Amino acid sequence: MIAIQKNNTINLARLQSLIALVTLCAIIAILSDKFLTMDNGWNVLRQIAVNVCISVGMTLIVLTAGIDLSVGSVLALCGAITAGLLKNGIKMPSADLFIGFTILGALLAGIIAGALLGWFNGFVITKFKVPPFVATLAMLTIARGLTMLWTQGHPISNLGPAFSVIGTGWFLGIPVPVWIAGMVVLIASFITRQTRLGRYIYAIGGNENAAILSGISINKVKLIVYSIAGALAAVGGIMVTSRLDSAQPNAGTGYELDAIAAVVIGGTSLSGGKGSIGGTVMGAVIIGVLNNGLVLLNVSPFWQQVVKGAVILIAVIIDKGGKKK
Amino acid sequence: MKRVLPLYVKIVLLGLLVVFTQCKQKKTASGKKKMAVVVSTLNNPWFVFLAETAAARATALGYDAKIFDSQNNTATEGDHFENIIVAGFDAILFNSTDANGSVANVLKAKAAGIPVFCMDREINATNAATSQILSDSYSGAVAIGMSFTQQLNKKGNYVELLGLVGDNNTWARSKGFHSVTDNYPGLKMVARQSADFDRNKAMEVMESILQAHPDIDAVFCGNDGMAMGAYQALVAAGKASKVKVYGFDGAEDVITAIKENKVAGTGMQFPKVMAETAAKFADEYIKGRRNFPQKIPVAVELVTPKNINEYIAYGKK
Repeated sequence: MIAIQKNNTINLARLQSLIALVTLCAIIAILSDKFLTMDNGWNVLRQIAVNVCISVGMTLIVLTAGIDLSVGSVLALCGAITAGLLKNGIKMPSADLFIGFTILGALLAGIIAGALLGWFNGFVITKFKVPPFVATLAMLTIARGLTMLWTQGHPISNLGPAFSVIGTGWFLGIPVPVWIAGMVVLIASFITRQTRLGRYIYAIGGNENAAILSGISINKVKLIVYSIAGALAAVGGIMVTSRLDSAQPNAGTGYELDAIAAVVIGGTSLSGGKGSIGGTVMGAVIIGVLNNGLVLLNVSPFWQQVVKGAVILIAVIIDKGGKKK
Repeated sequence: MKRVLPLYVKIVLLGLLVVFTQCKQKKTASGKKKMAVVVSTLNNPWFVFLAETAAARATALGYDAKIFDSQNNTATEGDHFENIIVAGFDAILFNSTDANGSVANVLKAKAAGIPVFCMDREINATNAATSQILSDSYSGAVAIGMSFTQQLNKKGNYVELLGLVGDNNTWARSKGFHSVTDNYPGLKMVARQSADFDRNKAMEVMESILQAHPDIDAVFCGNDGMAMGAYQALVAAGKASKVKVYGFDGAEDVITAIKENKVAGTGMQFPKVMAETAAKFADEYIKGRRNFPQKIPVAVELVTPKNINEYIAYGKK
C-alpha cells in the first residue's frame, strides 16, 4: 500500500520535470537553430556529467533528510590530490623516499580521499549529533583550506594526454564523462530501487524514529550514504581536472548549489523520504540546457543569473502544483 | 540525548587554546617589527603569488610577515584591518577588494598611524594610502587591442570572455581593449559572455559559443585562466589552430602556451615588482623616510610569441 503510493508521487514528479524540460528545450530551439544539433547535445551532456555525479550523491543524502554543502570543496581537494600524486608523487627527502603513482593509483587515491571526507561528515553527524547543514558547512571550509595547502594556491597543470581521456575522450561514439555519469546513475538507481540499503535510505528520510524502532541501524546507513556522496564528488573532481588538464584550487566553488538545485528541480523533497535519482538527472539536464541555451542566445551575463533563478522557481512551483492534484 | 561535550573533547579544546595563547605571547616577545599583507583573494594563483612575494620580501628585510585573505569581501577586509590595528602591526602591504569600498579601511589604519602601501589595485583616494604601486590594466588592454587588430588584419569575428562582472579589473581590461577594437567596423564581436575568471566556466561557455558561432577568428579573455579554458574548448572542437586566443596576467600556463604558439598573446603584469617595491617602501617608512610618490604605475607589457623569450611566469627573465 505504502509502496504504491510512493511510486505514484515519484512518477508524477518526474512527469512534471519532463514537461518543464521539454518546454524549455522548445523555447530555446525556436530562438536558436544551433540548439537541436547532435554536437550541441553531446556538449550539454558532457557539461552536466560532473553535476550529475555530485547530484546523485546529494540525492541519496537528501533522501535521508540530510544535506551536503561540502561537495564543491571535496571535489576540488580530490581533483587536486589526484593531480598532485600523478604529477609529483610523494617525496620524503628526509627518508630518501619517493613514491610515484600510476594513473589508476592516483584515481583510486582521489576517490578514497573523497570517501573518507564523506565518511568524516557522516561520523560528525551521527556521533556528535551535529546537524548535517552545520557539519558539512564546516567541511566546506576545511576541504577548501586543505586544497589551498595541498596546491599552495597554484594550479597543478600538464597532467599528460592519457589522463585527459577521462574528461575529453570518446568511447563508442559517446564522450567518456557521459559514460561515467551514466554508470553512476544506473548504479545509484539500482541501489535506491532494488536493494535493502535503498529501502533503508527512504525509511530514514520518511520517519527517522520509525526507522530506528524497526531495527534499522541508521548511523551505519548515514555513514555509507555520506561516504558515497564524498566518493562521487571525487569522481566529479577527477573529471573536471582531466577536462581542464589542470587542478584548479578554486574548482567547484558553488557546485553544491547547482547540485541542490538539480535535486530540488527533480522533485526530491528536502525534508527527505521522497524523490528519485531519475528526477535529479532531469533536474541536472534542465540546468545544463539552461546554461547552454542562455549562452547560445548571447543573453547578457547580468540577466542570466536572474533567468536561472526564475526557471528554478517555476520548475519547483509546477512540481508542487502537480503533487497537490 | 546528552548535549554536553564529552570530557576528552573539552580537554583537547582547552589544550589547543593554551597552545594558541602561548604562540601569541612568543611573537610579541620576539621584539621583531611586523608587516601585514592583506590580499583581496587567495583563490587565484596570481594573487597568491603577489601575497607570497610581498611576505617573502618583508621576511627577508627582517620583519614578521602575516598574510590576510579578504576573500573578495570588503567587510572581511575591514575586519582584518581592525585586527591588524589592535595587534599593533607596523605597516600594511595592501591589495584592495574594491576601489571605493576599501578607502574607509585604509583611512582607519592611517588614523591609527599605520602606513598602507597599495599593490596592483588602486583605491580612489589620494590622501589615504602612503603610496600606491599600481598595475596599469587599461593601458595593457589597449596594447592587447592593438596587437589583436593587427593580427586579424582589422577584420573578423571575435568573442570576448569577461571576468566577474562586478569586478573593477574586468571592466578596465574590457574598456581598454574596446577603445581600440571598436574603431574598426570590420571587427565584429559576435558574442560577449562572462566566465567569472574561471578556467572550467570559460571552457563550458566557449563550447556553447562555438555551437552558435562555429567560424570565429579570435577570442579576447579577461584573464589567463579563461584563456586556457577557451583554448581547451577550441582544441576539443578542432579549431585551435584557426582561432587566436588572447589572455591577461602572464600566468605560468599561458606563458608556456605562448612559447608553443598555442596562445597569441597576454598582458604581462609584474606582481613581483609591485610586491617587492611595496615591501621596500614599508621598510623605508619604518626607518624614517616620509616622502613617497602617491602613485607609481607599473606598465603591463604585451607578450606574444615574438618576444616570449624575454619573459617567465609573472615577470621578466
